[in-house]
Amino acid sequence: MIITKKKERGKLLESIKDYQSLFLVGCSECASLCGTGGDTELQELKEALEAQGKTVTGTHKAKTGCQVLGTKTELKQYKDALNAADAVIVMSCGAGTQAAVEMFPDKPVYPCNDSLFLGNMTRFQIFDERCSLCGECIIDKTGGICPLTNCPKGLLVGPCGGVKDGKCEVSQDIDCCWVRIYERMKRIGRLDDLMETTLEPKDWAASQKPRAHSAREDKKK
Amino acid sequence: MTFREALESGKFVVTAEVGPPKGTDISEMLHHMDLLKGKVDAVNVTDNQSAVMRINSMSVCKLALERGLEPVLQMTCRDRNRIALQSDLLGASILGIRNVLCMTGDHVSAGDHKSAKPVYDIESVQLLQAVEGLNGGRDMAGNELRGATNYFQGAVVTPEANPLEPQLIKFTKKVRAGARFFQTQAIYDVEAFKGFMEHARKHQVKVLAGFVVLKSVGMARFLNNNVPGIRVPEELIGELKAAGKEKALDTGMDITARHIRQLKDEGICDGVHIMAIGMEEKVPEIMSRAGLL
Ligand code: SF4
Ligand code: SF4
Repeated sequence: MIITKKKERGKLLESIKDYQSLFLVGCSECASLCGTGGDTELQELKEALEAQGKTVTGTHKAKTGCQVLGTKTELKQYKDALNAADAVIVMSCGAGTQAAVEMFPDKPVYPCNDSLFLGNMTRFQIFDERCSLCGECIIDKTGGICPLTNCPKGLLVGPCGGVKDGKCEVSQDIDCCWVRIYERMKRIGRLDDLMETTLEPKDWAASQKPRAHSAREDKKK
Repeated sequence: MTFREALESGKFVVTAEVGPPKGTDISEMLHHMDLLKGKVDAVNVTDNQSAVMRINSMSVCKLALERGLEPVLQMTCRDRNRIALQSDLLGASILGIRNVLCMTGDHVSAGDHKSAKPVYDIESVQLLQAVEGLNGGRDMAGNELRGATNYFQGAVVTPEANPLEPQLIKFTKKVRAGARFFQTQAIYDVEAFKGFMEHARKHQVKVLAGFVVLKSVGMARFLNNNVPGIRVPEELIGELKAAGKEKALDTGMDITARHIRQLKDEGICDGVHIMAIGMEEKVPEIMSRAGLL
């Protein structure tokens, strides 16, 4: 899921200071799980804005904020409230916010959150980054652990000289990803693979921005 | 005799490190270079060491050449993508720089520009492959070059890393990628280093043991606690303690000289690399105590 955190309230208020009435859009997927765009957060923001003397013309928690067509359909019922709003605040990730920008060509749209990374929820509202969406997965060669993401240097061949007692040079709070890869390969009996493979330099063309993909085209193939 | 010829001839070689300053006043650095001239086989010029922004390695290597010293261009993958790295390698080559030390580089979070974007488009092993390619007349994209480079390329290794085996695997990959010589992280335990050399001797590469002179008990403890892959044994710390504050540096120089002498006498490795870190003026003295001058 996409991990988000709330922007400081003061910064948000500063960015919308010129608008009196606002419509709030949340998201029931990632942002809800992150505690940045669910029912509670919508309610909290509504109250905070009203405490500042603003008018909240309506709120809606989208089923999937980044699903443009679906969200557009859902928002039809709020036609009047949306018309009455000077601006829209979106409480989701950057993708959800830009979905709203597409939907409201004539209205200012503001993000309420900072989008952090694609993450796994390891415990309730504790998130870890495992994949950087590089466009061509190589973890078949590295024991299923992604060095591009788990090593702060994204090294593809092996550990740097900074490993200290199995911990990473960058932070003693993280295990060196290449020590983890080494241990896992040993455990699954594939140390020879690790010895033999020197991965090619990464093909960054596979992750050139902005990316687009058609699963429909894929199906035809 | 060039650095490469010296190593290939089997001579016990000595290299020392020169750290470019932060700013354009290079008087002290030039003074250090002059002290080393005629004494060491080559000087390594560091590349924004510890991710702290300084004068680049290439310019200082060129100055070293002009002053009659043979430079080893240190090159890290932290700050440049593969285009910039290869471009710099071509540039250094036309300036007459013949030795390159390929490293991944300390992370920007260790340095003085913590908000910089770390690059690491490639890493040490892939950089070695790139050098091998340029030497063979091709760039990383497979394009033919108009004129190839002629580098003598090396890499670094940490013989006391913990755990060691992943480092040894990477060491082997560096050899396969074309590394001809290695300079090691500072070593303080000759017996442990011998163990590493048994592994290294399975490969056709030259190994220069790294030395950082101990200045005080505090420094030894700092290295143990903070620098990965450095382990100063308690006996040495005891020796520094016994010497007292006044004589600690002198004792540290003795320890280095003694270790160098042992490595040379017992033919354990092919040379030494002295990283004086701000004490470059002491290098000739250490060399003479080690019987190298
Ligand atoms: S290699 Fe890493 S970043 Fe790339 S797709 Fe696989 S897990 Fe994600
Ligand atoms: S210590 Fe390990 S995880 Fe950290 S930067 Fe070096 S190789 Fe990567």
